[in-house]
Amino acid sequence: MGKNRECAESCIDYLALALVHHYRTQGQGPSLQAALDAVGERTGRQLAERYARDRPPLLDQLEAVKFVCKEFWGEVFRKAVDNLRTNHRGTFVLRDTQFRWLVRLAQNQMPAQVGQPLPAPLSKADLAADFLVLPCALVRGALAQLGWDVAVTADATSLPQVDFTLVIRQQPQR
Amino acid sequence: MTFYIFNRKGRCQYYHEWQRLKPVRQGAGSQEEDFKLMFGLCWSMRALATAIDPKSPSMKQMGAPMRIGDGCSFNSIKTSSFKLQFLESPSGLKASWRMPGSGGQPCWGAGCFVLTTDPSVGSMVEQLQYIYASLFVELVVKNPLYTPGEPFLFEPFSAALNKYMRALGLLS
Repeated sequence: MGKNRECAESCIDYLALALVHHYRTQGQGPSLQAALDAVGERTGRQLAERYARDRPPLLDQLEAVKFVCKEFWGEVFRKAVDNLRTNHRGTFVLRDTQFRWLVRLAQNQMPAQVGQPLPAPLSKADLAADFLVLPCALVRGALAQLGWDVAVTADATSLPQVDFTLVIRQQPQR
Repeated sequence: MTFYIFNRKGRCQYYHEWQRLKPVRQGAGSQEEDFKLMFGLCWSMRALATAIDPKSPSMKQMGAPMRIGDGCSFNSIKTSSFKLQFLESPSGLKASWRMPGSGGQPCWGAGCFVLTTDPSVGSMVEQLQYIYASLFVELVVKNPLYTPGEPFLFEPFSAALNKYMRALGLLS
């Protein structure tokens, strides 16, 4: 990977981490959930607009989701979604088996002070929760820009695999 | 054979010993003392090397604070019973990140990587570089749960370090 590319990608990695740490430690102002939701949605919209620029309009629900799985995911999370399932009634599950933003997540086993007991093991899903707010909002913003109002949730119980569930709420506004 | 990672302020963030024939109690007295002595040694050696450096254009007083990358650093110290290999990393990523509750002190990322080996082992600058770039940065710094400057114990890093040491043939 070229040095410029590696530098740019590292910047995104660290920015995503720093955003969560920043909002976690803020005493005042918007909560982490509210702030990262807003940032993610806006950014997702702008990115989708940029990546879909030279394509014909995506009129079909499935086409829009497939665009997110391949082109959008490739640009933002640097690989395509591995598995897409749908019930053909507005619910989609996007499975990324090696979600790049969380692939290095590991709990710190260090006790707070020497001699104190080890910290209780936490489930990876709990540890990852804050770090999934931004990705979910990005996906929501992207689909919103393409005209679909969706609710996005993420399931990280088997990290590094993450399942994103999309529920389409209404028909597109044209 | 032992391995230390110190941050720029001298706090030991990571320590592992594979083989230490003389127990810490007989040497420094306690683990804390051992860390202090080790960091003190590295810091003093670096200051000394910078002070007596015959090539450096700028004249620095010994003991004057040094910026990262300033002055010259040393690679290893060899004694009759062990060899100490040293690497100073570039500044941590969040060098100016302010930690809450610490009165606005800047918090630095890792500063020094120290490895003690058998005296017969050759130079390990490249290996320490690898440990820094491919193990520490990839597995620790990019871990969302790592707090820069703080002691850590992450299983992926420990496992990868052990595997690398074994691959180098340093562990019997």
